[in-house]
Amino acid sequence: MSADRRDGARSGEIPGPTVPRMLLGIQLHRMREAAGITPDQAGYEIRASRSKISRMENGQVRFKERDVTDLLTLYGVTDEKTVAGLVALARQANAPGWWSKYGDVMADWFEGYLGLETAASVIRTFELQFVHGLFQTEDYARAVTLLGHTAAPAEEIDRRVSLRLKRQDLLNGPSPPQVWSVLDEGALRRPVGGRAVMLAQLKRLIEVAGLRHVTIQVVPFDRGGHAAAGGSFTILRFGEPDVPDVVYIEQLTSALYLDKYEDVDHYMEVMNHLSTEALTPMQSARFLADMIRET
Amino acid sequence: MTDDHSSTQSEAGPGRPDATAGTGIDTTVPHSARIWNYWLGGKDNYAVDREAGDQYREIFPGIAVVARTSRGFLTRAVRYLAGEAGIRQFLDIGTGLPTADNTHEVAQRVAPESKIVYVDNDPLVLAHARALLASSPEGATEYLDADIRNPAGILDAAAGLLDFKQPVALMLMGIMGHFTDDEAYPIVSRLLAGLPSGSYFALYDGANTNEAFNEAQEGYNASGAVPYYLRSPEQFRRYFEGLELVEPGVVPVPHWRPDPDAAPVEIYSYCGVGRKP
Repeated sequence: MSADRRDGARSGEIPGPTVPRMLLGIQLHRMREAAGITPDQAGYEIRASRSKISRMENGQVRFKERDVTDLLTLYGVTDEKTVAGLVALARQANAPGWWSKYGDVMADWFEGYLGLETAASVIRTFELQFVHGLFQTEDYARAVTLLGHTAAPAEEIDRRVSLRLKRQDLLNGPSPPQVWSVLDEGALRRPVGGRAVMLAQLKRLIEVAGLRHVTIQVVPFDRGGHAAAGGSFTILRFGEPDVPDVVYIEQLTSALYLDKYEDVDHYMEVMNHLSTEALTPMQSARFLADMIRET
Repeated sequence: MTDDHSSTQSEAGPGRPDATAGTGIDTTVPHSARIWNYWLGGKDNYAVDREAGDQYREIFPGIAVVARTSRGFLTRAVRYLAGEAGIRQFLDIGTGLPTADNTHEVAQRVAPESKIVYVDNDPLVLAHARALLASSPEGATEYLDADIRNPAGILDAAAGLLDFKQPVALMLMGIMGHFTDDEAYPIVSRLLAGLPSGSYFALYDGANTNEAFNEAQEGYNASGAVPYYLRSPEQFRRYFEGLELVEPGVVPVPHWRPDPDAAPVEIYSYCGVGRKP
């Protein structure tokens, strides 16, 4: 990955299936540079501006197949397999995700996250307030949703809960990501939805922790004060060597995506501190079991 | 190089009075497991590691080949041990950060019931290993927080999962270079003494047969990072005294049972696999 790509800030919205677009953009960038062609020349070829080329190479826009093949011709890329592969990637990048039919109850910024979550190979999360969405029971998810949408009609709440549960299919798919979740004790002690709902949620956590691709670590109240300086956040890693890690931070009305080295490094450092300070996965399972016994 | 023994040389940087803050992770000095991860093309490294890694690579561009071929040897050796040699228990000391084809993955692909004990004393490595190196349902993996300078302690703790009446494969991959001869040979002897007849020992480390490698490593060792000593082929053979060497013996890493399609590469590291009679 060249330096100027990493220097270009990308925070804000990334709608749709993001990783295919990032991958395609990275490869187009590399091929353009290898061919010694400026963004202006490339833009001229497809009747677009240089900034459009830059947005394409940053994976920020949808791709027309025609534009991709025209650019590849300009860059002197003629290998049939390479061209076909990149065109397939463009198609994939434009295909709607499973979540597209939930558009009515989903903010645009969250759509971007689902695209990343679906494509990630490793998902590392730190949760301060709530159990991570991928692990929530239906009742817990409903309680959390009600907290955020007090005035919403029952039907809308149902849709939101159903979206959240559908997201969990990821864990049962054929090649699920590794989900490594560090939870603050506060997220476990807060009885979201009442005692019975929380008890069932704790049991669910023990259950998912038993999955081979899920790791749960608890940061008890007496540890981890300094590393947890910020709030909850997620780091997504992708299997492709050229795609950088992405930090995802959810806010009340929007979300932040960070993929610059200096940002990712910092969050990775905090995440690593949290993971080393937290109870080990085995100790965490015992911690959860003890909580259930006390409840 | 795969293992950082203490990361305790933490000269706290300016404004970072407490860089390790009790977790033992120091992000202000290069960390050998993270640099190694960088050379392997991994993403678990910080700016300080990438800088040190780039500096090293400027003097010795072959380091990327060292990283890649060493990893290739681990894969071939474990495949041999779990396959032809029929080993089902592995003691892998100096785990390093998880990467592609970790010991248990290779072993359990051949024999899903394989049991692997990973040993490291680096908190960052241990946290990653515990989270990401999950065993197959048929086998088992365990992670010990222990220092190789206490071989008896490692053998005791590993006995929780491994049955020392059955053969065990001891793996020291890129770790013994961190020790002087006076420390290294006795450690290996002590570990091997605890294993039953029919056990195996696999090792690789960097060799002192290349000028640029020597120069880069001297610079690295002088930087205050945990030092790593390159050794001669003769010194490598000493590790295997008293063992039956598996063919082709103590050889450059690319020459140990290469895959049929392997392209020729420069020689920077040596390796061997031996069987305890």
